[in-house]
Amino acid sequence: MSFFGFDTSLPRDRGHPAMAPGFSQATDHFAGLSNADDDDDDGIDFEDTYDGLGDKLDEKDDAFNDETFGAPEEAIGKDFDFHGATARVADAMEEEHEVFNRSARNQSVARVAAAPTQPARVEPPTHVPVLRPDMSLWGSGPATTPQPEPQPDPTPVVPPVGRKILSLEEVEAQILANNEQKHQSSFQQPPAQAHQLPPQHQHTPPIVTPQLHQYPPPQHDLHQLQSQQFPARIQSMLQRNQTPPQVQHRQIPEQHPGGVPLQQQRMQPVAQPLHPSRNQYGMTNHVPTPQLQKMTEAEKARFLEEESKRLKRNHKIAQLARYNGLMTPADKNFITRIQLQHLVSINNAEDNANEDFYYIVHSAIRARTNPQQPLNQFAQTYLFRQSARGRNRQQDNHLQRMEQQVQRAVAAAKARPKASQLVLEGSLGKISFSNVKTPRPMLNIKKSDTSGGEPIRRTQRSTFSSADRKSLLRAIENVYDALLELEVHERERAKLPILMPDQQPQQAHVEWSTRRDQLVAKLWKETKIMEPIDPMSTATHPFIAILSYSKMKRAVQRIFRHLDPEQRVTVLTMIVVHLDILDVVKHGVYLPDETQLPSAVREEIEMFAASVLPPLLGYVYEAPLSIVIGLLGILLERVDVVAVSKTKIGLAFLTMFSSRAEIVKQAGGAPENELQQWQMMYDRLFDSLQGHWMECFPPGMFVDDVYVWQFLASIAVGANMPQQQALVSAVKDRVMENVRASKTLPPELGAQKSANVNLFMRAIGLDVELLG
Amino acid sequence: MLFFLLQTLVDHEVTIELKNDLSIRGTLKAVDQTLNIKLDDIMVLEEAKYPHLAAVRNVSIRGSVVRYVHLPAGTVDTALLEDATRREASNAAAAKGR
Repeated sequence: MSFFGFDTSLPRDRGHPAMAPGFSQATDHFAGLSNADDDDDDGIDFEDTYDGLGDKLDEKDDAFNDETFGAPEEAIGKDFDFHGATARVADAMEEEHEVFNRSARNQSVARVAAAPTQPARVEPPTHVPVLRPDMSLWGSGPATTPQPEPQPDPTPVVPPVGRKILSLEEVEAQILANNEQKHQSSFQQPPAQAHQLPPQHQHTPPIVTPQLHQYPPPQHDLHQLQSQQFPARIQSMLQRNQTPPQVQHRQIPEQHPGGVPLQQQRMQPVAQPLHPSRNQYGMTNHVPTPQLQKMTEAEKARFLEEESKRLKRNHKIAQLARYNGLMTPADKNFITRIQLQHLVSINNAEDNANEDFYYIVHSAIRARTNPQQPLNQFAQTYLFRQSARGRNRQQDNHLQRMEQQVQRAVAAAKARPKASQLVLEGSLGKISFSNVKTPRPMLNIKKSDTSGGEPIRRTQRSTFSSADRKSLLRAIENVYDALLELEVHERERAKLPILMPDQQPQQAHVEWSTRRDQLVAKLWKETKIMEPIDPMSTATHPFIAILSYSKMKRAVQRIFRHLDPEQRVTVLTMIVVHLDILDVVKHGVYLPDETQLPSAVREEIEMFAASVLPPLLGYVYEAPLSIVIGLLGILLERVDVVAVSKTKIGLAFLTMFSSRAEIVKQAGGAPENELQQWQMMYDRLFDSLQGHWMECFPPGMFVDDVYVWQFLASIAVGANMPQQQALVSAVKDRVMENVRASKTLPPELGAQKSANVNLFMRAIGLDVELLG
Repeated sequence: MLFFLLQTLVDHEVTIELKNDLSIRGTLKAVDQTLNIKLDDIMVLEEAKYPHLAAVRNVSIRGSVVRYVHLPAGTVDTALLEDATRREASNAAAAKGR
């Protein structure tokens, strides 16, 4: 088709040139591998391994090699003259080597450096030398000689850092001063050197001082080197370093007075433009360096000032930012989350009747009971509270802001459609998001007997005839809950507006009072004290049953405060009625053999005496005589007095009644019929106890029998003559025993014993002394 | 709640028994939400067994390694503590029921 008769077919259509080597022959995969012709013993002959492709290479296509790869100016031989090239710079390297060895810091490095150069000399291992790179080993070209200079820098950088800025300023001042002397046109050098020197420039200001020691000696050598092929970069580098030192060490130029000033003068303009253009962080100033000399005096001064300020600021930033980047964003989020949780929990602790509240009460009560440090504790408490509130206000602001942000984020998330399921490639099945934290609950299949048991339990609670421990304890807890509510409510009373004596109760007061009554009623109900007494039933009365627990005994004391007089007398009556059923009385009777009650019983007795008796006592001592008479009557009728009298608690009750009655009698003002009634009661009591007086005493010699004597005393006070005689004759032996013992015993015990007896004796009108 | 209880004991002498059986007596100086405890002027109960703490004056103990805190008996008002626990239990029950 071609106009000129060319072959217009494309190369790929042309097919392989059949005449070209390697294209017409069938590929022989095993060319060169067959050992059929081998007669040699070794497996592979080198000649046979040549696969012949090199011979088949068409040399025609090499015509453009020079253009592609670049023609070498001279032939690249296979031999490189290492020694020759090194020899050319050997002197310079030797000088640098010397200088480095002479540096004050590393004397030992010289030895390390010496050892490789003199391998024959074996060095005694006196100490481990500081491992520094040996300069002569690494100096193979001009490009690497700048490296040794920064390396001594790290340690010298540290000491003069404090003086760095000052020296910088000095240096700048000096340079600017010198700038006016000479104005050489070596500008082409600064741009060339500027970009080559950045890595070292950071160190040059700090190494101003130490390099003094290093470079003065090579100065005269550099003279020689300058004429050699020594690269211009190193030359200027060294000379620039020498220029600053001339400020501090004037004696050094004295060594080579001729050479140095010449050098310095020549090199000042070289160094000076470079020096201010870089500071410690390689930050160039905005003024291009060549223009520095064109600025006026005032501008230069201002510029210097700015420079120094900037350097100071950068130094401070460096100090502050030295430890930046230690925490990842993930760490920061973690810490923030913990702080938020803390904020939230502290904030929530402000709720009334919550932990914080109890802490306040706790510490307040403790402070009250610790008179040693009341002020400290109070101050701590109140300050803490106030500061917590103040802090919480700030926290509230932050919290509110954060809440808003959270709300915004939630709204945004809701608006965005969210995948409810996740299906991963290759996994079998879907992962549903919403069910992960709220899994589908399992079916609860209750067995039939438990479902039948619940109604039974309910009826039990209503009749409260069960005496099992759990329900009793549950009842006590209910009592406590009601009690706590009541107490909290009482505390709120202080928050009500103060009522003046004449004012009508305000709305708030009225509400408070109604609420209080409600709570008291609830409390009353919980004590189960109003449960009817069923004489036929064998089960214990619920109130008495729960009273057998010390928890309840302690609670009674607190409950009493809230009860009105009628309720109190009810409590008292209930207890009296069941006096011999009370655990403390029931178990308080000494068995024939034991001299001491079991410790558990003793504890219960103590608890009862400490917590239940006092409020009852307080009530009884305020009670009118009629109440006392009535109570004693009930006691005598329903209770086995003899049995009761054998116990401490029982005797305590009897003592309570009789002493109160006597007080009322002696105070006078009691109506006549009541007195008669009392007398009747008394006689009945006396008669029932007659003959059992001695049984009142606890067995054993050294027991505490104060209460017995107290009881006897209270009885004796009301006794008439025959009764008294009966009393005396009954306990006579005991009295004598005690008196005798009190004389033989050590003083305290003896005194106590005689005092006890005296209680009784005085009641009769006698005295221990009379007995002798 | 334990945090607040311990906070009432600040400046009292307590003995902390750790889970590694080390017992340290000292003045309770600080306690935080996770019941980390800082003690001042400490004395280790079995000194011979733990000589490495001989020169230590103040310690900061992570809350999770404490087994017991032995309190002086008189510093805790048991009745109030009972009330506080009841209150907390009822609150927790109410919260759970909600």
